[in-house]
Amino acid sequence: MRRRRWIQSALALPAAVALPSPAAAQQTARQSQEEGLGLVPTPPDAVAYGLRRFFTVEQFAALEKLAEILVPAVGGRPGAKDARVTEFLDFLIRESSPERQELYRAGLDSLNREAARLYQKLFSGIDAAEAGRLLAPLGEAWAYQSPADPRARFLRQAREDILRATLNSREWAESASSRRGGAGTSYYWRSLD
Amino acid sequence: MAKTEDPDVLIIGSGAAGGMAAWALTKLGVRCLMLDAGPMVDPDRDRTLMSAHELPYRGFGKPGRFPHVTQASEFDANLWADEKQNPYTYAPNEPYYWVRIRMLGGKTVRWGRASWRLSDYEFRARDHDGFGDNWPIRYADLASYYDRVEPLFHVSGRNDGLPQLPDGNLTPDTSPDSASIRRFIAAARAAGIPTTKPRRAGGALASSANLLLPEAVATGRLTIVPNAVVREISVDPKTGLASGAWFVDRRSKRDYQVTARAVVLGASCLESTRILLNSRPRQWPEGLGNRSGTLGRYLFDQFYIKGVVECVVPEARGGAGGRDLMGGAGYIARFRNLEKREAKFLRGYAYDFSSGGTPSARILPLYGEPLLKELDAVRGAGFSMTTMGEVLPRRENHVRINAAVKDEWGIPVLHISQKYTENEHEMAKDAREVAVELCRQAGFEVLASHAQMVPPGESIHELGACRMGEDPKTSMLNRFNQCHEVNNLLVVDGSSFVTGGSQNPTLTILALSLRASEHLAGRMRRAEL
Repeated sequence: MRRRRWIQSALALPAAVALPSPAAAQQTARQSQEEGLGLVPTPPDAVAYGLRRFFTVEQFAALEKLAEILVPAVGGRPGAKDARVTEFLDFLIRESSPERQELYRAGLDSLNREAARLYQKLFSGIDAAEAGRLLAPLGEAWAYQSPADPRARFLRQAREDILRATLNSREWAESASSRRGGAGTSYYWRSLD
Repeated sequence: MAKTEDPDVLIIGSGAAGGMAAWALTKLGVRCLMLDAGPMVDPDRDRTLMSAHELPYRGFGKPGRFPHVTQASEFDANLWADEKQNPYTYAPNEPYYWVRIRMLGGKTVRWGRASWRLSDYEFRARDHDGFGDNWPIRYADLASYYDRVEPLFHVSGRNDGLPQLPDGNLTPDTSPDSASIRRFIAAARAAGIPTTKPRRAGGALASSANLLLPEAVATGRLTIVPNAVVREISVDPKTGLASGAWFVDRRSKRDYQVTARAVVLGASCLESTRILLNSRPRQWPEGLGNRSGTLGRYLFDQFYIKGVVECVVPEARGGAGGRDLMGGAGYIARFRNLEKREAKFLRGYAYDFSSGGTPSARILPLYGEPLLKELDAVRGAGFSMTTMGEVLPRRENHVRINAAVKDEWGIPVLHISQKYTENEHEMAKDAREVAVELCRQAGFEVLASHAQMVPPGESIHELGACRMGEDPKTSMLNRFNQCHEVNNLLVVDGSSFVTGGSQNPTLTILALSLRASEHLAGRMRRAEL
């Protein structure tokens, strides 16, 4: 898909001809109309991978594993891995407050430490059954106040972020079987200045 | 209007308060000049449909852009006032979420549209329970203005004859209730709690910008200057009357002065108060019209408990909830402290309730495939409630100028100090217990509940700080929103409220502004100004 879109962009072909996805076709048709010159812009993440800039290699791998476990691909719908959520969160958390950055860093380090203590390997190397013990706080009843335990707090935030980043992804929007539950479309207000 | 020709009235602000003033005054032949701090907006030109994945932050929004505007999404981020350009301060242990929109139409461009009348339980609150002060007006004084404002904003709803929620001049809402809503209503009725339909303004925009300002402009008597950030009200040193305003062009930062025979301030509760506090002519070193020391005090709002209870309607699980079972909404007006007195708190709270949403994933104790399957199972099967509670007006809750901090245009900012007290906390606990009990009685599966109020300000219903009153020693404005000490200055927004009840305040702001503006026009016609 990515390659097809890149070719389409390079050749400036009408979106409806090159892309089978209705959502993508609608998007590019609208963009084309906005541009007014018949040129079709393509967002960078349709043709390229985002670079890891914030997490360490070990943290990034742990987050990738966590995302895969928390939001797997199910029933033909893309999961967090398909939606390249880890790349996106690396970017989002890099842009976020120091508190949020620390929550993620400490949380991922904690998962790696606990995995090493229990299973003598990093979190990225454990299987779903082994991960269950580390993710037990996510099975606890919800309370408004954030959990006192830092790892539990991180897991709660990460689950929310990973799910949202998956549902709001291009991959989710373009998957015909996953339309329900996605963020959909809304009016975007341009800069008013 | 030629540059040299002074307007009769200078209106500051273009939202519900300023827009209504312009509508009323221009129809009565008064020439008005309106200043608004923000740009002019054209929804057709300025917005476009997009998907979340097309946005740079996938719908999360740019981190840190709006630390206090929880309502802002990445889709509408450009509507909200920039917090870096428009700072304010508060004590570290008293967070205040000041939510602003600076553009033509003000917050009516983005309001929730809930349109409720206040009753004499609010206007005569002191008579009822002995706390605080009464308004200088009664419900009867405002009823005919509510009658006129509701059709202007196409308010729909249902009249139920509730004394705490006066009937309105509404477009009747005769839509049938879904079975889940009927079950909830029956549970409430069994508990002695009346319900009604939502009352909402209608139309594509329902804003001052499309419902009020175009008609005012059509009279030929309204001139609008956008991007005009008012620094202070000017005063004629000989007469002590307001003579106009100094303002800064938002984009060029060039300073201007404008003069008028009268000034109507409707820039929103806190912005109007800030302008008055920053206006310090020799006679009023503590702020214009503020010899009483009341200006900035008695700040209050309405506390919200978002999602006080979140439920699932069991029969609707697995996509079984059709339109007969799910969907629809309703409202519970204040039912506490009407006849019987509660032991733990004064006043009361209201609820919005709605059927047919999907419970938030964050409250489900699951992850992985079970979470995704459960989300599928409960999609469209949700029932949720939100609490809106009355906050007692207290003198100690206040705003003042923090001269050490200035905004983008060099204007000193507000320091805000407001805390919820035991009364609000007790009310919140009661609201949670009642909500859970009603939902259980309705046969709903309660997934989560809480009694955590959002921080002061977040409801965007900030009120008081320049209140009306009979006594100039304890209030700023008289019964026609006219400043006791500067009689050609009116303040017509939410800052003029004495109490707020639990009803969304916009309809009352509109009615007050209409009443005050027509009274002003009469005085001008009779050459009393």
